[in-house]
Amino acid sequence: MSRVVYDGTPIEYREADTLAIAAVRNGIHPARGGTLCLAGDCGNCVAIVDGSAWVRTCQTAARPGMVVHRHPAGGHPSPGGPERHVQVQVRHRRAFHVVIGNGDSGSVAAEARRAGGDDVLVLDAADGNEVVGVFDGPTIVVRTRDGIEQIHAHHITLATGAAEVHPVCPGNMLEGIYTPKAAAALQAAGIDLGRRAVVGHDLVAIHGDVRVTAVERSDGSVTECDSVVADLGSAPRDLLARMAPLVPVTVVGPAAAAHALPPCPREGVVCPCGKITVEDLDGVWQKGFNELELVKRASLTGVGTCQGGVCMPHLRSFVADRSGTQPQPFTARPAARQLTLGEAAAGYHIDTFRRTPLHAEHEALGATLDKFGGWFRPWHYGDPVAEYWAVREAVSLGDVSTLGKMIVSGPDVVEALERLYPNHVHDIKFGRARYVINLTERGHIMDDGMILRDDEHRFTLTFTSGGASTAEMWVRDWIETWGLKVHVLDRTVSHGAINVTGPLAAELLRRAGVADEVRPKFLQHRRLDVAGVPCHVMRLSFTGEASFELHHQIDRSVELWQALVHLGQPLGIKPHGLQALFGLRCEKGHIIVGQDTELDTSPRRVNMDWAVKLEKPAFVGRDALIRTAKLPDERRLFGFTMEGPAPLEGSVIRAVGAAAGDVIGHVTSSWNSPLFGHAVLMGWQKRHLAADDRHADVVEIDGREARVSPMPFYDPEGARARI
Amino acid sequence: MLVSDFVDHVTGWRIIADRVALDAANWPEGSQVVRISPDDAFVIGAARPTVPGDEFAVVTPEYGFSIATVIDVVALAEQHIEWSLPADRPALAQGQIAGVPAKLVLQADGSAQLLVASAARHELQERLS
Repeated sequence: MSRVVYDGTPIEYREADTLAIAAVRNGIHPARGGTLCLAGDCGNCVAIVDGSAWVRTCQTAARPGMVVHRHPAGGHPSPGGPERHVQVQVRHRRAFHVVIGNGDSGSVAAEARRAGGDDVLVLDAADGNEVVGVFDGPTIVVRTRDGIEQIHAHHITLATGAAEVHPVCPGNMLEGIYTPKAAAALQAAGIDLGRRAVVGHDLVAIHGDVRVTAVERSDGSVTECDSVVADLGSAPRDLLARMAPLVPVTVVGPAAAAHALPPCPREGVVCPCGKITVEDLDGVWQKGFNELELVKRASLTGVGTCQGGVCMPHLRSFVADRSGTQPQPFTARPAARQLTLGEAAAGYHIDTFRRTPLHAEHEALGATLDKFGGWFRPWHYGDPVAEYWAVREAVSLGDVSTLGKMIVSGPDVVEALERLYPNHVHDIKFGRARYVINLTERGHIMDDGMILRDDEHRFTLTFTSGGASTAEMWVRDWIETWGLKVHVLDRTVSHGAINVTGPLAAELLRRAGVADEVRPKFLQHRRLDVAGVPCHVMRLSFTGEASFELHHQIDRSVELWQALVHLGQPLGIKPHGLQALFGLRCEKGHIIVGQDTELDTSPRRVNMDWAVKLEKPAFVGRDALIRTAKLPDERRLFGFTMEGPAPLEGSVIRAVGAAAGDVIGHVTSSWNSPLFGHAVLMGWQKRHLAADDRHADVVEIDGREARVSPMPFYDPEGARARI
Repeated sequence: MLVSDFVDHVTGWRIIADRVALDAANWPEGSQVVRISPDDAFVIGAARPTVPGDEFAVVTPEYGFSIATVIDVVALAEQHIEWSLPADRPALAQGQIAGVPAKLVLQADGSAQLLVASAARHELQERLS
């Protein structure tokens, strides 16, 4: 005989024993009480096996050295414990027809399908293929000895048989209660169950302290015994069929057969997983939860380990008794078997975070990289304040390869862009650029960027880094909807972009071979070689200083970056990360869509009416803007200044004065301005009714006074960007 | 090992044009055409293609893809692809591979190449290793 360790004590088992049978062989109830079915239908044998909790020990073959701990009495196992990193392999398989269950009905179904020429795959837990879920697709998730399999099938036949009904009566959570098949299995394993009392629906109560000592029948008789065999009929084992209502599953055999419900339970535990009693069901019923699904939700019956495997027939019988109508079974939820987190996550991946072509350059410069807008981006290079001053006083490089970039071309391109954007497009001259916002049909800001006109029928569009994918769909969807002839090519991952910014930016370009006479002026763009690299040079500004975005093929990014860094050394060049960039643009009052805007932010609320030309006959969002313009303006984005450290973004903005303490908004952007020596902020402010329905000029943030301040805080005339 | 080492920034051209024009285009000698969609082709090769039938066609250098040779297509599909591969060859299959958007170029001779945006190459490579 070999041994496993049960609750710290080595116990012997025989070959072919499951852990549950090994436990019973040694006088241990695998889960401290409750009917044992030994068929995987209930949660009355779950335990912690080799560190994994909620394992059905009746379905787990005993192997030498296994360590089993029963779940704590009266509670669930702690989710804590030593951290384990287990890589669970996933395998994708395809099958035309899958039969789940290899019993009599499953075998017949499989043979019939094969005879019809189908490719048939049969899955059965006894063969090591434990089906844990059926999902749309259809996809069948199977736990095997090697990991998780996802089987993509065309047709599914469910032949999982029937489950034996457990008794519900006083004492039904004692040790020593078995279904007939469990008793037979134990007997076949050579386990003596002692004096057995076989009972049916005449069972009234089971007596005992920890273990059964007697059964009481409806005729009043009491029979002393060592074990109880409850022969109460069966119920369909159709959990997998109820798991994905939209997946066509053919149910055959006993799983599809009509089974009489047991008598309505009067007393005892209905749901062993949650220890929910008939009294609990009555409680929720009396509170008005008078449908099966409501009783389930209110009492949590059927949401435990076995997903209704034990309680379903009794719960249906209870509802039928109280309502007079026999309810259909409730929907089952994955998984049909407890999974480890590793098993549940097998084959699934977090979102892909892209790297710019300059990723290694940033790492070499000691950048702290962070995930932002779907990309790894430099947050800072060790000294964000020095990076800030490099932009304000010298020259700096920023990696803006992550910006959305798109080429649009075609005979209808102007018409398409006029309809897409809320400002004029037709009057953009060749080689000129215009700032634009993108609106939803509801007139809410969804993104912003630039339109750059290349020629009569071709434009370059830019979008925010995080909004690029959505913007592409937005552009394509509308153009297709309108049936316009426009070609669309997303260049986001094909073009790199480096922002050269600062008062010495023009000097750096001069040193990189860009003559003054060809250098673009503000809001111009031109194709030029910079340090020998062909670039689309766009003169814009997000930092408030002169800025040149150098868009180029990504295979030349490193070469261009290194050349600019080298040429800029005498000018005091430093790269800047997002932290400095966000501060720079905050001083300039430039919003970041998604940070300073909300899902329902209209241009008016962020003081950007100037970017909307309502005189245009049509553009996406126009009708909504006209309609909402008549409504009161409930809140707006404001600039604030305050002494002391900048508050955290997200900080609450409160009223002062008569309505002191009222929450009237929150901070969206916050920056300790090295230039001003105080904090500059952006934040939302509701109309403050206590102040004559006006926005307040003075508010409280972090217990300190903050004052509304006009934006931009820095260079309101915009002269710096044009030098 | 499921795929070879990736080559970043594979040299090619990206063309967006009318479907009819793309169908009729004569591609440069020795180039490999990956038809991403009816109006979108990625032409691997140095020579610039022309699309005579569409004056508004966008023809631009494309260095945004990384490419690798697939060593075992069956194993790659079993371990990392939820969707079914097309039965016909040659074929282009597009979708998530190990959770990363990618393209499988399935050749008539049974060989296959894996194309992925260079920006996501590191992530895919890590997940396939």
